[in-house]
Amino acid sequence: MKMTKIYEGSHQWIMFGRDPNKPANIIDSNQYVVRTTNRCLLMDPGGTELFAPMMAAVLHHAPVEQITDLFASHQDPDVISSLGLWDQALTNAKLHAPAIWEGFLRHYGCESIEYVPIPDHGGSIKLDSLELQLIPAHYLHSSGNFHVYDPQAKILMSGDVGAALEAPDAPVFVDNFDAHIDKMRYFHQRWMPSNQAKRAWIERVRKLDIEILAPQHGRMFKGDDVKRFLDWFDALQVGIAV
Amino acid sequence: MNNQTKSQFVAVASITSELSAVMVVAKEISLAAANAKAIAFRAGDKAKGFQPITDFINELAKETIELVTDINVYALLLYRLTVNEYRRTSAYNRFEAAAKLAENAAYGASMQGPVDVAKGRMQDCQRQFKRDVTHLLSQLEAVMHHARAARVIAANSRIEASQAGEYLQSLQAVAESVDKAAHTIHDNVQRCRVALSIYRSN
Repeated sequence: MKMTKIYEGSHQWIMFGRDPNKPANIIDSNQYVVRTTNRCLLMDPGGTELFAPMMAAVLHHAPVEQITDLFASHQDPDVISSLGLWDQALTNAKLHAPAIWEGFLRHYGCESIEYVPIPDHGGSIKLDSLELQLIPAHYLHSSGNFHVYDPQAKILMSGDVGAALEAPDAPVFVDNFDAHIDKMRYFHQRWMPSNQAKRAWIERVRKLDIEILAPQHGRMFKGDDVKRFLDWFDALQVGIAV
Repeated sequence: MNNQTKSQFVAVASITSELSAVMVVAKEISLAAANAKAIAFRAGDKAKGFQPITDFINELAKETIELVTDINVYALLLYRLTVNEYRRTSAYNRFEAAAKLAENAAYGASMQGPVDVAKGRMQDCQRQFKRDVTHLLSQLEAVMHHARAARVIAANSRIEASQAGEYLQSLQAVAESVDKAAHTIHDNVQRCRVALSIYRSN
């Protein structure tokens, strides 16, 4: 599992992904961790197949007992089907996930983890003195969907928005935006169902100060590429399957 | 899922299937008993010896139905335990894999606690499963006992039927149907026992 530190300050952001031992027939995914002094948040911790390498990778940064929070942007298996395993491994953890998915996500196994339902209008996660904002991203692509914004690190963890389907050993940052468009166009057109939802999200996100846009698949966008992505996404027609 | 776990799932699921067939047959015996009682009543003195046998048959069928109903409830609990054991075993295997991968990680040692807890939970499930299988096998043995008793009754019924004059054929048909039903119950329950016996506690 490749680990890339993307922010280092009073707390850290680490991106995990590009696992060379991942079965070839499952989609590659990026997992993100925010580490504060005493706590550790795992965002979209991944599917069952990724549990062992992901846990092992996190243990380079925090002991098991300090993994206190999980976040699931939505209900998909590549996002959180490992929940039943985290549930058995962590003794004192919370899962922050969309309220409307609670009854569904519990199918993965959620006996000891406390489910903290995120209301439709969003909320926040407090980790020691850090407060992360939960930004609504409904219908992008899931009907109950949130992103995580860190105003201090200026990072937006954007779930499936900005995702691209590409080689498992691809670089972690976009280095040529125009060349990258082909890798993400179909994904956004086919998986994102609503132009109206897309416009509402772009309007909301343009007000945030973002240095890194960090999707769950493919490469992250940095600096000017964040604005380039928002402009490109704004102009894209989505929901093409009907 | 490994082959042993698959076999365990199949064994537990097959109990419900085999027992639902047993239930149908037990109800047939009950019907045969009612039929025999009516014939014996019409036959009067010619089937005097047959009359108490019909009560035995009916009682046996009722008890078998009650036993099978209880076993079905228990089999469902056993199925849930099998699912639980599978989850616990899967978690233990993945925790061990994570601990191994994290051998050189700064906090790798902190994984030992979850590994130990997961191992304990998995072993608890395995022990509970073996205890429950042993209990279920003894319940199945009780059904086998009823099936054997039904076959003895069927043999007696044939003897009594032979003295029933013009009712001979009707009563022999009753005896045949009880014997056949008892045979089916015996075979189905035996299959359940064979499937489960490898999991019993020693």
